[in-house]
Amino acid sequence: MNATDALRDALPAPGTPRFWRALEELLDDASKRPLLENAWPGLATIEPTLDRRGFLRLLGASIAFAGLGACSGPPPERIVPELGRGGDTARHRARYATAIDTGNDVVGLLVALRDGRPMHVDGNPKHPATLGGSDPRMQAAVLDLWDPARSSAPLRQGQPASWADFEAEAADLRRRFAASGDGLHVLSGAIRSPTLARQRDALLRRYPGARWHVHEPAGGANATWDLADLRIIVAFDADPLGTAPGHVRHARDFAAARADTEQTTRLYAIEPTPSLTGRNADHVWPVAVSDMPFLIGMLAEACGLPSPAVAGVGGVIGDRHVADRIGLIAKDLLDHRGQAQVLAGPYLPLSAHATVHAINRHLGRDTAPTHAPPSDTADLLAQLTARRVDTLLILESNPAYTLPEFGFLARNTIHLGRYVDETARQAQWHLPALHPFEYWSDLRRDEDVASIVQPVIAPLVDGRSAHEVLALLLGGVTDDPLRRIRDTWPTLADDDAWTEALRDGAFHADTPADPAAPPTEDDPPGPADETLELVFRPDPHLWDGRHADNAWLQELPHPVTTQAWGNAAWISPALANARGLRDGDRVRLDLGDRHVEAPVLVVPGQAERSVTVTLGHGRRTGLGAGHGYDAYALRARDGQWHARGLTLTPLGERTELALIQAHQDMQRRDIIRVGTPGHPPQPARGTPPSFYPDAPSGEYRWSMSIDLDACIGCNACTIACQSENNIPVVGEGQVKLGRRMHWIRVDRYHEGSPTAPATYHQPVPCMHCEHAPCEVVCPVEATVHDGEGLNLQVYNRCIGTRFCSNNCPYKVRRFNFLAYADFARESLDAMRNPEVSVRAKGVMEKCTYCVQRIQQAHASADREGRRIADGEVTTACQDACPTRAIVFGDLCTPSSSVSKAHASPRKYALLEELNTRPRTIYLAAWRHPHPDWSEA
Amino acid sequence: MSAAAITDEIAGIALRRHGGRGWWILFAMSLALTVMLAGGIVVLLVRGVGIWGIDMPVAWSFAITNYVWWIGIGMAGTFISAALHLTRQGWRSALSRHAEAMTLCALAVSGLFPVLHLGRPWFAYWIMPYPDKMGLWPQWRSALTWDFFAIGTYVVVSALYFYVGQLPDLAAVRDRATTRGRQVFYALLALGWRGEAADWRRHATLTRLLAALAVPLVFSVHSMVALDFSEGLLPGWHSTIFPPFFVAGALFSGIAMVILLSLAMRRAYGLGRYITDVHLDKLAKLMLAAGCVVTYGYAAEVFTAYYGGDPFETAVIAHRLHGAYAWTFWSTVALNSVAIQALWWPAARRNRLVLVLVSAGVLAGMWLERFMLIVTSLYRDYLPSSWGMFYPTLWDIVFLLGSIGLFGLLFLLFVRWLPVLAIAELRRTEALR
Repeated sequence: MNATDALRDALPAPGTPRFWRALEELLDDASKRPLLENAWPGLATIEPTLDRRGFLRLLGASIAFAGLGACSGPPPERIVPELGRGGDTARHRARYATAIDTGNDVVGLLVALRDGRPMHVDGNPKHPATLGGSDPRMQAAVLDLWDPARSSAPLRQGQPASWADFEAEAADLRRRFAASGDGLHVLSGAIRSPTLARQRDALLRRYPGARWHVHEPAGGANATWDLADLRIIVAFDADPLGTAPGHVRHARDFAAARADTEQTTRLYAIEPTPSLTGRNADHVWPVAVSDMPFLIGMLAEACGLPSPAVAGVGGVIGDRHVADRIGLIAKDLLDHRGQAQVLAGPYLPLSAHATVHAINRHLGRDTAPTHAPPSDTADLLAQLTARRVDTLLILESNPAYTLPEFGFLARNTIHLGRYVDETARQAQWHLPALHPFEYWSDLRRDEDVASIVQPVIAPLVDGRSAHEVLALLLGGVTDDPLRRIRDTWPTLADDDAWTEALRDGAFHADTPADPAAPPTEDDPPGPADETLELVFRPDPHLWDGRHADNAWLQELPHPVTTQAWGNAAWISPALANARGLRDGDRVRLDLGDRHVEAPVLVVPGQAERSVTVTLGHGRRTGLGAGHGYDAYALRARDGQWHARGLTLTPLGERTELALIQAHQDMQRRDIIRVGTPGHPPQPARGTPPSFYPDAPSGEYRWSMSIDLDACIGCNACTIACQSENNIPVVGEGQVKLGRRMHWIRVDRYHEGSPTAPATYHQPVPCMHCEHAPCEVVCPVEATVHDGEGLNLQVYNRCIGTRFCSNNCPYKVRRFNFLAYADFARESLDAMRNPEVSVRAKGVMEKCTYCVQRIQQAHASADREGRRIADGEVTTACQDACPTRAIVFGDLCTPSSSVSKAHASPRKYALLEELNTRPRTIYLAAWRHPHPDWSEA
Repeated sequence: MSAAAITDEIAGIALRRHGGRGWWILFAMSLALTVMLAGGIVVLLVRGVGIWGIDMPVAWSFAITNYVWWIGIGMAGTFISAALHLTRQGWRSALSRHAEAMTLCALAVSGLFPVLHLGRPWFAYWIMPYPDKMGLWPQWRSALTWDFFAIGTYVVVSALYFYVGQLPDLAAVRDRATTRGRQVFYALLALGWRGEAADWRRHATLTRLLAALAVPLVFSVHSMVALDFSEGLLPGWHSTIFPPFFVAGALFSGIAMVILLSLAMRRAYGLGRYITDVHLDKLAKLMLAAGCVVTYGYAAEVFTAYYGGDPFETAVIAHRLHGAYAWTFWSTVALNSVAIQALWWPAARRNRLVLVLVSAGVLAGMWLERFMLIVTSLYRDYLPSSWGMFYPTLWDIVFLLGSIGLFGLLFLLFVRWLPVLAIAELRRTEALR
């Protein structure tokens, strides 16, 4: 047990007694004083002079501390809020533009502060990567900031140390490497910050013998696509809507193109394992990775290009549909020349990328290749094994988890990270890193767009950024964090330009970008044979595992499988049939001399003989420990994406998977309506008569419309709602019991054959029924209707009969079966939205249409003596939606966007025959399947 | 048999208090289960209803099943003593007292569950209309509100009826008590009954009045319980047959419990002269009749679903018949519809073993029926995305067994302290014979 743990054990549990009291007791108790000295050398020197004055002084200070709690102030430098609606930059609810790196993507954010505390995140409308939309990883950044489990102080050999100690260590390193720098190695993720790149160059200049290694375990494409106005998209193992960088922007462009139902827009997804893109495709075609180059070659030929030499023979050659399908796709592409594009995923071999590039040029679209940049960890591992590494500085990377061969063979390993993770546990030094909301930095998205990362709050922990740690190694005279960034951007030297860059959150970068490492290493999948193929994929939420400590992301259902809190080995329905496997059956996966044990999950749309494992789960420390299995253990080397020769042995045991939605078949019920050019969706049937009085006739009639054609099922709405409405996390056990708390869920239904199903997504928030079945059955009037049509839940009045939930045909109500809200941790208190009640044990809750935002709008409209304008109230889910599928507004205003949605011929109400008269309505999905496509 | 002999024998049971070792063993077991229930309640209040297996979508399960089951069992006592009293069925005198005691015990157990099942049981009183300064009232459209009134009235009237009915008997025990303590105890309970003609006249009027009140209450309370479900729009709940169906089901399970208790008491206290085979025969016939109505209910549910053709209704019936909980449906049918057919034969109605088996089967069957009705409607309703299973936890079992223990404890205390048969009524029946 280390010293802080010992001290923590000696202290009372957090929550009830105040720290000053405990500290005082601790200091009084002579036996415990050494604990304090070990853990916080600085604190123990405070004399416990508890005479009257000393006591009062301590009391005063402690009251001040208690009031601040986990809250810290603004950063010392000047930061610039974005201009809100009507130029509103009120200090207590300002929003600041910044940017973060979510793993393989740089996205622009607006961080909403409430009384100085970052509380909620939205996409920055001025940033081209998001255009105001979000994805789950962006939304979860708030919890990362306030996470009580963050590492808060440096550790040396696992024992608490201070930054002063490390500064001494850094001085020592500077002396040691002053001569040549031999033996100094730095390991970092992909460098997307120009300032970091500048510091890297400075470091390598100062210590010529030093080496800098880049490790991106889940890869990361270095270019994005432009999907705007594309009519025909053929995605070869590419996931532009799900995991590719720029996916938030892609989703927006894709949905915008699809919104025009008159025009043909068609997405073909040819992939070994279902991705969000495949789930939204008009045609999905599961094909093993090893067959992919062959198909791409066939397509090139069908498009009239010289046939490229394809190594090996595709396993699909016997399929009589293949030639038909490829011919049909080629014709579709050629018919839409200029508006058609083939996308190759980052995991395809270079030769396939070259062929795709040729096809696209032929189609009139010159595209940059999107191959995953190589990880150059092989060199580092070799140096480590040869014991040539003296000091290894690891910057926010976790090789002990993501690099199975990694060993702590350097004399001195220094780890900078936000958590005491697998690497920090064994490193000589662990340094707590800051969250991007706490320090100055910059991020570059691509050639053109860069953002300044501005801190919105002073650091909550005693940490430093990578810039500061490198500065210690470089040993500069002054260390001004703001100067460092401004020096990188001479074009922003002018204060007005600087202010504008901060305010807008994105600016045109006119210096050349850090040249991307050329792809050198190729990863051909190997020829098809009878063995099973193993496919590695990052988890869309946890990415390479770096987000595994985020409880929101852990509990968010996987967009394809709806699994939360863990992963499984995905197998195709055919393979499951052949091996007699069911969801949750445990198997042993053997690949060469490596193996893992994992539960299987039968995934419709999985290529028949491909098995997919997802990276990021099965962590050994932190929140992710004990959830899922570690797929890195199967990797022969960093950057391996597929392998042949997998064997799968059932173990005869079962694990219950935390599947959020176990039934994905609509049972021929009228739940999601779909139209195709030949078959328009069934129109709404009109409102049946009722004995109850008609809709309440308030001044406003709030309504929400959800466009199922636009929804891609990304879950951003779910997590944005969780952040806005203080929704607790319940944990894996409770999810398995069916007690998730999300107020808006995204339902998925499959249609057609399980081999290659069509999939539809349907976000389901509270319907705010005008004739709400829940209201009738509540004995205490805890759920009531207001004049504007909101179905309100009065938490204080709720006694928890749960009849309302039983009677809700949409099952959108959520019940606090146990005390889910964590009241004990102060940092979580600081994160919560002060305008939304935190619900107690035994109380029902549900979507409120973000009633706090409606009230806010009422207040400002009343103050100014006007009506609430259309678009003035947006719900959190609406703000987050990357495709703008969700529209909220007032039905009393005929020109409002929601009124227009109500007039759409695609409009329908879910379960309209029940006559609940929902205020949430849906617009039917629309697909453009090719009439000649043959189902295998 | 002389009138005095009846009094001597029944009062003697109350005064001698010899239950023998059997009583003590049963008492110890019931007490243990009750203590377990009390422990469960403490855990429930501290941790929340999440200790049970309930979830979304199955937000009701064991607690509501137990509630409906026990309140149904309670019905038979009131029915036997009040409805048969009004219709002047003299044979009921041998059954009325312990049947009424069973009603009260079952109601006491039953009443725990609607409170404990709440997310915040300490606010259960909000369901009552009481003047508070915020002007909040119950929500009158909810069946749960009316349920409170139905149960409340029923409890009050049943308790009064039980107590008023035994005033003369308590006086008889008081007069035969030999120790001071018992004389005072029974004298207080007897409210100064002197056996004067005026006493008897008032007593008869009050009994008839209460009986007349109790009979409609029996029907209203079980109809209200049924409305707790049929008010919902859930397929499988939203059914007009539910109120009569629940009344029949309540009578059915109640009579099964009366048969079991009558047989047990007859054996333990040698009451064969009072509780004769004729009584058991009549009870068995009643149980058979109620069982046939219940069976009709099952058939009608299935028939109307398919005849109506509503896809959601037919899907729920299909899930009941073939789904994950199909075993509860088929066990229910086997126990409640098939097994009771043996009672068409007089020999079976007089065979104690057959009666015990069939009655115990009916009690189990009725519990399963309530569980089946609640869970199979909830676990698969409208949107397949929300479908989910219910699995009971250990705590669910604790509360079910604990409720049986509490019922046993209360009933064992009744047989030990109060006259187990209606002395005055038996004397009158004997005199009229």
